[in-house]
Parts: sequence; structure tokens; C-alpha cells
Amino acid sequence: MKIRPFFLLPILLFTVGITSAREVPQANLESYQPWSENTVHSFENLLVQDGGRVKPIYSYARFTLLQFSGKSTARFASNDGEKHSLHYSEWLLDVLFRGDVAKELPIFVVDDSAVIVQIGVSPKSKRDRYSYSELAAGRAKLADLGAEYAEKQRKHQESEKDPQYELERVEGMILTLGRNISAFEYLLGQFSFARKGELLVNENILPPELLKLAATLDPIEMLDKMPEMTLGELVQVIRQPDTGDEDSRMFAGALRLFFFYANSARGLSLISPQDNEDETWISASDAMLNGLESKEIRPWATEQLKGLQSLIEASGEDEATFQKALTQFSDDQREKATPRGEGTRSHLEVQLYRGKYFMYALYAFVFAFVIMAFSWFSPGSKFGRIMLLIASLIALVGLLLDVYGITLRCIIRQRPPITNLYDTVLFITGTAVLLGLLIEYFTRLGVGTLIAIVAGVLGMFLSMKYEAKEATDTITQLVAVLDTNFWLATHVTIINIGYAAGLVATLIGMLYLAGRFFVTLAGKEAKDFFKVLTRINYGVICFCLFFSLIGTVLGGIWANYSWGRFWGWDPKENGALMICLWTLVILHGRMAGWIREIGVHMNAIVLGIIVTFSWWGVNNLGVGLHSYGFTEGVWGTLYASWVVLGVFLLMGVFSWIDERAKKSARREDSTPKEAEPTSD
Amino acid sequence: MNPKKIFLPLTLLAAALLSVACQDSGATGPELVQRELSEADNSFNLVDTSAERFRYQTAPSNPHGGETGASVAPTGGGNPGLTYTTPEGWSEKAGSAMRDVNLGFGENGEGECYVARLPGMGGGLLANVNRWRQQMGADALTQAEAEALPTKPLFGQPASFISLDGAFAGMGASEGKGDYRMLGLILASDAGAVFVKMTGPQKLVKANQKNFDIFTSSLDISQ
Amino acid sequence: MANKKIDWSPKNWPKLLFQLFTSFKLATVVLVFMTLITLYGTLAQVELGLFAAKKLYFHSFFVIHDFWGTIPMILPGGLLLMIVLFTNMVFGAIIKSRKRWRGAGLLISHTGMLMLLASGFVTWAFASDGYMALYPGMKSDRVESYRKWQFEIVPLKDDGSAENVWILPSDELSSIRPDEKRVYQTDALPFSIVINGFSINATPVPLSAPISASAKGKEIDGFKLVPQDPAKEAAANFPGCYVEFQPKEEGAKPIEAIISAYSAGFGPGEKPMPFQFEVGGQKYGALLAKKSWKVPFEVHLDEFIFDRHPGISMARGYESKVTRLEEGKPEKAIEIKMNEPMRYEGFTFFQESFGPAGSQPGDRMYSQFAVANNPADQWPLYSLIVTSCGLGIHFLTMLVQFIVRSRKKHAPAKS
Repeated sequence: MKIRPFFLLPILLFTVGITSAREVPQANLESYQPWSENTVHSFENLLVQDGGRVKPIYSYARFTLLQFSGKSTARFASNDGEKHSLHYSEWLLDVLFRGDVAKELPIFVVDDSAVIVQIGVSPKSKRDRYSYSELAAGRAKLADLGAEYAEKQRKHQESEKDPQYELERVEGMILTLGRNISAFEYLLGQFSFARKGELLVNENILPPELLKLAATLDPIEMLDKMPEMTLGELVQVIRQPDTGDEDSRMFAGALRLFFFYANSARGLSLISPQDNEDETWISASDAMLNGLESKEIRPWATEQLKGLQSLIEASGEDEATFQKALTQFSDDQREKATPRGEGTRSHLEVQLYRGKYFMYALYAFVFAFVIMAFSWFSPGSKFGRIMLLIASLIALVGLLLDVYGITLRCIIRQRPPITNLYDTVLFITGTAVLLGLLIEYFTRLGVGTLIAIVAGVLGMFLSMKYEAKEATDTITQLVAVLDTNFWLATHVTIINIGYAAGLVATLIGMLYLAGRFFVTLAGKEAKDFFKVLTRINYGVICFCLFFSLIGTVLGGIWANYSWGRFWGWDPKENGALMICLWTLVILHGRMAGWIREIGVHMNAIVLGIIVTFSWWGVNNLGVGLHSYGFTEGVWGTLYASWVVLGVFLLMGVFSWIDERAKKSARREDSTPKEAEPTSD
Repeated sequence: MNPKKIFLPLTLLAAALLSVACQDSGATGPELVQRELSEADNSFNLVDTSAERFRYQTAPSNPHGGETGASVAPTGGGNPGLTYTTPEGWSEKAGSAMRDVNLGFGENGEGECYVARLPGMGGGLLANVNRWRQQMGADALTQAEAEALPTKPLFGQPASFISLDGAFAGMGASEGKGDYRMLGLILASDAGAVFVKMTGPQKLVKANQKNFDIFTSSLDISQ
Repeated sequence: MANKKIDWSPKNWPKLLFQLFTSFKLATVVLVFMTLITLYGTLAQVELGLFAAKKLYFHSFFVIHDFWGTIPMILPGGLLLMIVLFTNMVFGAIIKSRKRWRGAGLLISHTGMLMLLASGFVTWAFASDGYMALYPGMKSDRVESYRKWQFEIVPLKDDGSAENVWILPSDELSSIRPDEKRVYQTDALPFSIVINGFSINATPVPLSAPISASAKGKEIDGFKLVPQDPAKEAAANFPGCYVEFQPKEEGAKPIEAIISAYSAGFGPGEKPMPFQFEVGGQKYGALLAKKSWKVPFEVHLDEFIFDRHPGISMARGYESKVTRLEEGKPEKAIEIKMNEPMRYEGFTFFQESFGPAGSQPGDRMYSQFAVANNPADQWPLYSLIVTSCGLGIHFLTMLVQFIVRSRKKHAPAKS
């Protein structure tokens, strides 16, 4: 068929899109001295408790940079014309240990320059990345607006989404940017207490006499000499009006400074607790304040703070010393954490992200698609068959990469494959690819491989987009009701296999309808081929029914075990039910003689709409938590995908009308009508 | 979407079939039935007044600062909206989170008047009066002095009226703006506090004193 | 078939009816409607809340749905559809189907589906569900409904405890329209009860509040009852009504009162505050209370353990250590956790939630159990086993056939 090579066009565009050199934002740095590989490696393995679990700082760095920048690398050009691309762990090293450099790196993504204008900074292009220093002039305004919009958002939630409190797009962006800047400042100022007066951030909120004091005061030494004080008492002393007495002024000043340091050091929990029964790790801030409160734990707290201080001191020396200090700190951490059962699988997590399995899987599927396209130049020939085989094998490699990544995630968490929405993307993609390849194995038509590749490309692309957009750790802790490996392994896995089968049926339907449309346009026929496609799709739909139905009923049984009701007509339950119902509509409609070939495929497209609605739509029906951003994005993408599916439905309608016309023409020739579908 | 629309014909049909005449004094319902006693029936909280019974902690003459009872219920209905007359020459200003109504007046909008509501006492009358007095550079009052302040009606209840001249140092400002006048109403009760505060250059506020009364007396809960 | 003349004569009706109920066409139509109803019922939850949408779309015979929010259309409701589907399956898939080995899988799976629908019906018709909330150290044998309220009259003893309790059941109470007046009585009580102005959600408002000036209701003891819109969450409704207690004695004056759900006990162990009045020397209390029923044993909460993930506020798990008491004597100590309910004497206790809302670590918290009594409790499980066996058999045979056929065919199929 002549039209086939045109399929190559999108690939070409896609490849061009990926490789086209993007303009790199400028950083106000004379030059940039990268960290040595050894230093970065020593740093990666530090442990930090975040989001309810202990993880390597590698993961923490990844999602922090994603959150700020929407990308996992920081690209910039320095003034000497050199271009640099920083890995997230290198970037975090800069933030924690070379704050002056980090402040100049353009990493804060701003999707709309209106945000920048509103905070009184001169904008670059419509969508661009800014460094902390560039935004510093608008810091105060950003804080004000951020506080206002945060309050608005709170009211929006409390009022059950009263539209008058709904954040507008730019307002939401300002809120997000404000939070990112503030999070960045905590990271920058994290070790201020150990820096002997070099503060990096927020100097402006300290009066000059305190800045002078900061250069001479060592807060760790100070902690040793102070009376016991609770946080409340500390705040009270700071708030006391000036009595004019020099001593008490000095004391209050020192306390203010101490409080300033403690406040800056919040957020990064690098220290495993003193008590082995206690699960909560602490930050330098906690160490300072807890130490202040109780003389009993003061020696321990001081020791922890000194550990951190030694890191800072070493970072000022040559890099070999710094690397040694990092390794020492990491070893100390592990010595305490390992007996507690923490951080024992952190190396796997580093491996997971360093391996970039899902990205390579995407590359494999794209590559397979290119190879596959070559097979269309001479379908059926030996060359074509070999190309098809190679494409199938590359798709298999993509699948194996996906499965490997999923397996690592399972081992890291000690959980079945699916515990959150991100997992479903990986799992459903894998299942769909596997189904496609199985179809290929049984039919050898090239259809299965094509389905597998398309599913693989779309799914892997979606997983990367989703990860970047959410920009929070995808290895999450579970809410109480999900804390059951049995149900996660059965209900959740099975229902997602059902989703995957439904999507494969949709892809086959799309292929059929598009094929039928173009074949009809070209005035040709390929009846046998299309008949086989229908039989394949019928099988996939049955497969989908089997897993959806069992998955749905299992879900009900789980609900009955945990909440005492089998069925509650809750949106997620209804989504699964609709998938079961629609597959049943297809099967029974076929038995009723209402739908035959085109009908099956058109209904498979409707099934696809239902699956995507159940998979993504119902989660966002009433959700106001991410009111700006993701919800908006989900609905946009969903609607777009439904429009695409609608186009295929239209093609189906066209072919159907054409078929009717031909049939009635034939009937006039008094040929016997088409046989009833068999009852299998 | 009203199910009654569907059930109406069905009900009529049923009524015709059974030919039950329930038009006149169908007002008599079935007999009451007894239920089993359980442990919880052994003790009731026997309160004397309706106010206590309906969870208005204070006496009915001093209710929730002009709010509906819904806000004390555990469901937390949130603040109901307000209706008011905007006096001539006044205009709406972009609100802040704390303010329910925020109006500005004067050529450059240098005068402002806002309404804020806080749950609970909001610190009580005295603390709030003195906070405002401090902003205007005036000395603190004693409890007795604060209670003896003149009142004006607000939401149909007497609210303490404050009128002060001085240098105004609002929230966060370090230096006061000279020759300012502040007019304020504070309505504090256990269930919530309402504040109306107007500030601006003395002349401007003086010219708008009447408008302040118009505005405050027009305030009502929107229904 | 479509070309055949249909015999519409009355003696052929049973046959036609049988044909209709055994047809795949009926099954398809019902399934399509079922999908639509599920979709609209899901979307409606955004506006109406779960409970109202459920009642309107799924527990109904018909529903008027506004397409695109404007064009009203009558759709069959979930209940009707499920009844038709059940009948269709019984006639079409069980009675009419040819009993042969090839159809065995389908026969079995349809039987499983029938069991599921039947269990749904039994649950809908006979199951009760409610909750019991306890602070550690408390015990109870009373289960309360989530959202059904009843009117209670309590003859009070001198010590303030109940002699017995007379109730006006929730279904009767909620059937009183806001503009309607109904009279209730029993021979055992020396007065009749006239209820008017019942509202599913209403707030008693003091006269001094500005809102009361425009409220229509009558003033009693400084309060008016102001009706509100029904809450989206049905459990957040606080009903209220005006009541007159009319002594049966000739010439006695009626006693008027506002009775509101605001006087009910809110948290576990909080005592309700009845309206008190006296007739013939006997003291009575009147109140609106959640519909409640007794379980044949008592549950004592020994300890409530609430566990959070370290460093964040997300709950990792919670569990209640309880002691079951029979006739006042400890019978057994048990733990109730998420996914691990306690089943006993037909009742199932689930660890449902905890409170009060917004509790911080270290606060005194109560534990809430969902208490279900469902005769069809385990039926879905049996149905699942039957259905999956049936479908498994059927699809496996099909798959084998398909593979065998396509293996034979795949060479010529290539065009």
C-alpha cells in the first residue's frame, strides 16, 4: 500500500523535536567548576527522611529539582560561553555547599511571564527559567502575594470549592513559585549555623548589630552554655521589648541569632534520632531546639551539629577532603540507620533513577517504531518480515526495561507493583505491550507489534510527563486502608490488567477503523485481514471483561472487608463497573446481531473513552487539592484524547455508511445476506 | 431531576386504586412505638434554656456576633456573606484574606474602611481597643474604661465605638502617618467578634463620618 | 428475523413476552442504559453529593436527567434496570440456554452474576448499617444510623434517666412535608404530638441575630427555626421541627417547642439535651436523635492506637483493642483494624475512622466503627468464585479455538 510510508512523518517530527537544540538560559557566573564524580557519588548515598520514609538524598534531589524546574537537569551557560548541564545531585551539592553558585543557576521555571511582572521583576521570554538572584528583587512582593493566595486556597477548600475563592491560573503559579523559592531558601540556609556569619539568605531580616554578632558567635558553642529553655520561652525572650540593659540586650541578640539559625535549618532531616524506638528523623533545627530545651540531650545534639559542621568546614577545603568528609558522614549515618532497618535498599533506589530504565524503554519503543516503518516499504517480503521481527524484539527489550524498573520499585518498597497513580502508568503500559506482543506471537500479522510499540511509546511518554508534572516522590507511603499487600496484589493488579486490555482493544479499534477508512477511500478491499482484526479484538475484549469483572468484584469484596459495604456507587467503583458494562454491551450486542465488524471496533473506541475516564477522570472529579495545574492538565489531555478517538469514530461511521450502501446494492442483485455471527 | 415528578403519577395511581381518602384529616400519623432502652438512655443533659439546648453558649441577648447558628454547629458553615450599602464616593478595594469587606475612599483612595470577623472572642474587647489605640499612638484603656465606650448599633446590637486622632501606624508599618483619624466599631462576644475600622487623613474621615454610619447600619447577613 | 411478520394476537402475548425477556437485544439495551446511568450518577455526585445522587440514579425506578444541564429526559433508574437484567438473565441465560458442554462456562458465569445481583438486592432490602464511636474506656451496645433521625419522647425518672423511650420512626418523620401538620399519639402517653414545619436541615436562630428578622417561622422562647438548604453530605443535615404537645385532658393548653438535632449528642459519650415538659405530674423529654438499634452484646474500647508515618501527618494505620461483653461479663478481647473486622452474632464491626477531626498527635482520640448487619455479607465472594470459574472456562476454550484457527489461517491471511 502506497500510503504507508507517510507514517514515517510523525516519527521524523518526533525525532526532530527531541534532538533540536534548545536555547540554554544564561547564568550570571564567570565560569562553572563541576564537582568531581567521586564527590557526587559520595554525596548521593547520604540518607534523608522525607515523605515518611528514609531515602537516598539522590531521590530527594531529583524531585526537588523537578519541582522547581520541571526538568531533572539544570542547563545553563556561564559568562565564559561554556554550556553546562548539571545532574540533580550535582545541583543539590551546589545548593547545600556552594550557595553563592546555586543562587545564580536559572532553575525556577515560570510558565507565564505575567507572574514575573506581578512581582516587579523584568521578565525574559513568556516561558523561561530564572535564578534565585534574578527573582530576589521581587522576593517581598512574592511572599505577600503567596500568603494571600494561600489563604484564598485554604478558603476555597474550606468552603467546599466556592468559586469566588478559586485561584486563577497566574495566582496559582505565583503561589507555587513562592513555595519553591521558600523551599530553596531553606536548603540554602540549611547549614547557616555552621558558616560563621556567612548567611547566604535572609541577611536583610537581621539588623546590622546581629550581623556583626553572627561573625563571632558559634551557635554550637552557645548551645553548650545556655540555660534550658522551651521554644515558647525562647520566643518570649526574643519578643521582649528592649530594656536598655547591655547584658540582656546581648543575650536577647544571641538568642535571636540562635533562633534565626534554628529556623533556617528546618526541613532536611539528615539525623537519625537518638532513641532507636523513635522513627522520626530530625533536622539540624530540631537538634538545636531540642538541645536548648533539655540539657540531657544537649551533648548528643551538639555532636550531631558538629558532624554537619565538619561537612561545611571540609567543603571549604580541597575537594578530596570534602569527599572524605561526605563519605565519613554517610558511613556514620548508615552505621546508625542499618540496625534500624532504614536505608538498606537505598542503593537500589539510586540504581533505579541512574538506570533511567523508563527513558530507555521509551527510546526502545521509538526505535522499534522506526524499524517497523521500514517493514512497510515491502510488506510480506523477506526484508519486511525480518524488519518486523527486529522491531518486535526491540519492543520486547523495551518491555523488559519497563518490567525491570517496576521490579526494582517493588523491591525498594516491598510492595506489589501498584500503589499509586504513577505505578499504574508503568504497569498498564507493560501489560499492554505484553498483550500486543502475545497477539503478534499468535497471529504474525504485524498488528500485535504495532499495538505494542504504540502503547509503549504513549505509556512511557505519559509516565515521564506525569513524573515531571507532579514532581513529588513516586515511591510513596500508603494510607492506612491500602496497607495490605494481599489486596494490592490481587484487586489492584487485576483491575489494571483490565484497563490495559481495554486500551489495547481501543488501539486495535483505531487501527481497524483507520485502515478500513483509507482502504475504502483507495477503493480497495482487504476483507480477510479486517476479519482477523475483528476476531483479535473480540478476544481482547473478552480478556478485558474477564479481568475487569473479577477485579471489580474483588474490589467490592475488599471494600466489604475494610468498610463493611460491598458496593457504594463511589466514582472509582463506578468507573470500573462501566468498563465491565461496556464490554458486556459489546458481547451481547454482537449476539443480538446489532454490531458486527465495524460495530465491535467502534465500541472498542467507546470502551477506550470509558477506560481513560475511569483511570484519570474520576480521580479528578471532585478533587480540589491540586486545584491549579494538574487537574487542569488532566482534563485538557483527556478531552484532547477523546477528540482524537472521536475522529476515529467518525471514520468508522463513514466506513459503516459505505458498507451499508454496498450491501443494499448487493441485495438488489439478490445475493444472500451475510451470515449471522457465530455464537462463540 | 426531581424524582417527585415521576412519583406523582405513580402516587396518584396508587391512591386511586386503594381509594384511600386521606385528604381531610390525614394529619393523623401512626401510633408511636417503643424502642429498647440502652445504656446511653440512663443519662441526659437536662439544660434549662433553649439557648443552651441549641448550643449557644451565651445568653440569647448576646449571640454570635451577628452570625447564624450554623457557625457553631460542628459542621462549620463558614462565614455567611454580607450585604451592605456602599456610600457615595466609596469603592470596593481588592480584599485581603482577613477582611470580609474592604472599601476605599478619597481622591487617591487614601481612606479605607473594612469589616473583619473572627471566630471566638478575637482577643476580647479590651485587647482590641488597645491594639487600635496603640496603632494611633494613644495610651491603653482599662477594662472599665473600655466597657464604658459609647456604642453604635451593628447587626442590631450595641458595638463599642472608637474615634481616635493621631499618627496611624497600621500593620507592619514602622512609621506612623500623621494627622490621621480612626473610627472603629468592635462587637465582641464569646461566639465571634466583628470589627469595622475606618482610617484616613483627618479631614477626609471627618467628611465621611456620616458615610461610616450609613455603611455600618446597612450591614446585614445575606440570605 | 426483522422481515418476519409478528403475531400480535393476545394469545401469542406470553410467547412474545418470553421472547422479549430471553433476547440479547433486551440485554444489550439494559446494559447500555446501565452504563449511562452509572456515568450520569457518577457525574451527578459532584453537584449533589454521593448520597443524593445514589438515591436519585441507582436506587430508583426512573430518573429525570437533564442532558447538558438543560434538556430533561426520563431514563430508567438503576433499580429498574437491575430487576430487568436479573429477569433477562434468568430467562435468557439460564432457562432458555441450550444445555451443552460448550455453553457450560457461560451458564456458570451467568449464575454467578445472578448471585451477585441477588446479594445486592438482599443488601439493599435487609442490611442495616450504622456506626458506633467510643473513646477509650467507654462501652456501648448501641449502633446509630449515619443520617436517619427519629423523634423520641422520653418519660424521665427523678434521677434524669429514661423510664422508656417512645419513638416516631425516621421514615415517618422524614415524610412530613415542611408545610404539613401531623398528629401522633399513643394510649400510653397522656398527650398527643403535633409536628409541623419539619425541615431536613434547619438551624435554631436566636431572635437577636439579624438573620432571624426575615425568617418566617414562629418564635418560641426567643428562637426561630430557620430552614437551610440540604447539605451535600447527607450526614451533615441537622433536621428540626416545631412541635406542640397537646395534653389529652380537656381544656389543657398545648406546650410548644422547637426541637432540633442541634440538641443531640454529637461526639461519643456526649449527652443529648432534650426539651423538658410536664404533663399530669410526669416529666418528659423530647428530642431528635439518630435512629439507633441495639446489638446483643457490648463493646468496650480498651485502647485506640493511631500510628502515623514518621515525620508526616499521614495515617499509617489505626487499630482498636476492644473487649466484647456478654451480659456485662467480659467475653473476649479482640483487635479491630483496617481490613480486619470483627464478626460476631451477625454483626460486623469495621475500623472505619477516628476523631475528632483535626486531632494532633497526643490528643485524646475516639475510634469509630462501622457496624453492618448484612445477611448477604459473604455472597459476593461466592459469586466471584462462581463467575470467575465460568468465565475462565469459557474464555479459555475460546482462546484455544482462536489460536488453533489463526495458526492454520495466518499465512493466507496476509494480504
